[in-house]
Amino acid sequence: MNKQTSPLKFLRLAVVSALALGLTACAPGSQAPDTAPTAAPVTSIDPASAGEVTLRLTDFWGANEGEWIESMVAQFEAKYPNIHIERTQEDWGQLTSTLNLQISEEAGPDIATANNGWQSLGTLAKGNLVLNLDQYAAAFGWDKLIPSTIARQNEFSTDFTKIGEGSLFGTPIARVQPIGIYYNIEKLTKLNVAPPATFAEFEAAAKKAKDAGEIPINYGSQDSPTAALLALQAVFGTAGSINDYVYGNPAVTAEQTGLTKAAETVQRWNEAGWFTPDHAGIDYQTAVANFVDGKGIFRFEYQGSLGLSVEQQSKFGYIQMRNENGGTVGVGASPAALVIATKCKNPDVAAAFLDFLMSQPAAQTAVDNGLIPLLHSDVTTPANMPLLKQEIEQIATIGESDGYVPYFDWASPGMLDVLVQQMQLMYGGRATPAELSTAVDVERNAFLAESAS
Amino acid sequence: MRRSRWMGLAMVLVPLLFYAVFMLAPICQSFSYSFYKWDGHSAATWVGLDNYLSFVTDPVLASTLSHVLVLIGFFALLPIVLGLASAALITRRALPGMALFRFIYFLPQVLTSVVVALVFKRLYGPEGPINESLRAVGLGSWTKAWLGDFDWALPALGLIGTWVTFGFCMVLFISGVSSIPTELYEAARVDGAGPLREFFAVTLPGLRSQLAVALTLTITGALRTFDLVWVTTRGGPGTSTLTPAIALYRAAFENPQVGQAAAIGIVMALLCLLIAVAIGRIAERE
Repeated sequence: MNKQTSPLKFLRLAVVSALALGLTACAPGSQAPDTAPTAAPVTSIDPASAGEVTLRLTDFWGANEGEWIESMVAQFEAKYPNIHIERTQEDWGQLTSTLNLQISEEAGPDIATANNGWQSLGTLAKGNLVLNLDQYAAAFGWDKLIPSTIARQNEFSTDFTKIGEGSLFGTPIARVQPIGIYYNIEKLTKLNVAPPATFAEFEAAAKKAKDAGEIPINYGSQDSPTAALLALQAVFGTAGSINDYVYGNPAVTAEQTGLTKAAETVQRWNEAGWFTPDHAGIDYQTAVANFVDGKGIFRFEYQGSLGLSVEQQSKFGYIQMRNENGGTVGVGASPAALVIATKCKNPDVAAAFLDFLMSQPAAQTAVDNGLIPLLHSDVTTPANMPLLKQEIEQIATIGESDGYVPYFDWASPGMLDVLVQQMQLMYGGRATPAELSTAVDVERNAFLAESAS
Repeated sequence: MRRSRWMGLAMVLVPLLFYAVFMLAPICQSFSYSFYKWDGHSAATWVGLDNYLSFVTDPVLASTLSHVLVLIGFFALLPIVLGLASAALITRRALPGMALFRFIYFLPQVLTSVVVALVFKRLYGPEGPINESLRAVGLGSWTKAWLGDFDWALPALGLIGTWVTFGFCMVLFISGVSSIPTELYEAARVDGAGPLREFFAVTLPGLRSQLAVALTLTITGALRTFDLVWVTTRGGPGTSTLTPAIALYRAAFENPQVGQAAAIGIVMALLCLLIAVAIGRIAERE
């Protein structure tokens, strides 16, 4: 061998140094500051005098939700001809799983829809990828506009150990999407049963349906069994206990939020054969399609998710079941948290757009598109939409009791997986309702311990 | 002489650079991430081997490896046995319409896996053709939600894999058999070997390299299983069909635990490498 560097040696050296470089690279993410910097106070915001501004908006709204946001963009651009909003639509799963990456890109969105809770909004806030909106809340009067139960859903402490208090990192929109119960009007009438309002009435109706040979509750537990469980939790638990649990009060256990009782109930229904047979092999899409086709009398569902045509809407009714302790508690939130990217060059204009999405015209546009308004009650419902009218009336009872509770899976990033897995284990006879609650506590407490450390 | 060697290096430099930037660098990055607890954005904390130890301490993550073992049975062993048997049978005599046969069995291999998964999801459904057929022949009590059943979901998924890889193995073996010198078969027959003896004495040894290829591809395929499970069961019911790839995806994108995801990825890569090397070694040994 000669002593001069041979190409092979050179190669080996290059590879080794590349490897070494990769290994010794500094700890990932270490550049990010521990706390988000607070921006200078905002004095006055007038989008009309902001000059030519283009904002990129990315959201996960399709169907009539998509029509709502398109209409809102058009209205905002008409109001301020100097502002242009370029909208990109992505599907929900795609956007929530990649938003963390997209929003740090130079060409990424200025405004985006984030999923509430730690999984998405919490991570974005903690990573300093989205703006702390406190100054805008003061400037636009959002603190007065947004009820505290809704505002909490977008709040994190600035040391990012707590959710549900502290600074505002996202805004709701003038729409809400709670979990409720849909029923097949024709079938219920045939059974000679009035739409149930309480849990006892609901069970009586379901029993009558079973005796008549109907499927009482349309269900599919293969990929999304949780709506029924969370709806029942809102029947048995109090709004205070569920809020406290999700927002990380370690003194409250899942059992105290009504979760165990809700799990016992769905298990009892499962054993009594009140759910669609073989629901373990039925996925969400199939279950919804079956229900719309007339299979099953009741279905626990996120409001507006059945995708009903105008003609189909006359065939279904909507119930917001009363809470066993009085009033109405509803699992519900604005269908997204709107965030402003830290790298957005015109945050004031972006904030003005968020403000517009919470305005009275936004609520009215929601109703016009068959969606449920939030933040404003002075809206007119089109006369030809009986289901929407009923939904608005039923859902209003939540607001009257100040009974909004956040989606339970906001408690920790892995909570939704735990709930789905535990429910499937329970239906498979491999876990008890009490074990489900324990697993939920373990998941949340592990997360609380982790974020406190 | 030396000049041409440097010339050679210069020629490979560009592809090598691509390889370094798009393969080596990300691998090194993943490797370094795997020692941290990191949500992808905020500051990371060094946790040493904790992410790797999860394979021992976390029963759910540990179970993904045993699920892979079951899948290997269905994705690799079963199709190879079936492929060998059918290749041996088919090649014994030239049959009319052979090309069509091969085409039909190979078809699953060219179908997009998502399409395959969706088709089987329907077949396995509570009201699907499999349950309907069982009812039609009076076996109504055997019907179940195949993909929603704790005992049946994993084998049901495995059989999809068998269906997909069987044709590939068979075609591979048929082409291997055709390259075995016919003299060997003639010699075996002269020696009075029956079909079975002929298979073990001539066909099987002659397919050594094809077997190595089939084993490597199907076993690593089983280890990497993602799309099939994602489209059908998402790892459920419970965690009974969870694979390492699904666990990786969840850790990386659904719950921000990038370090854990990187550790799973590294373990999968190492296992794939180990399997490929081991099979290669065994196949080379005479």
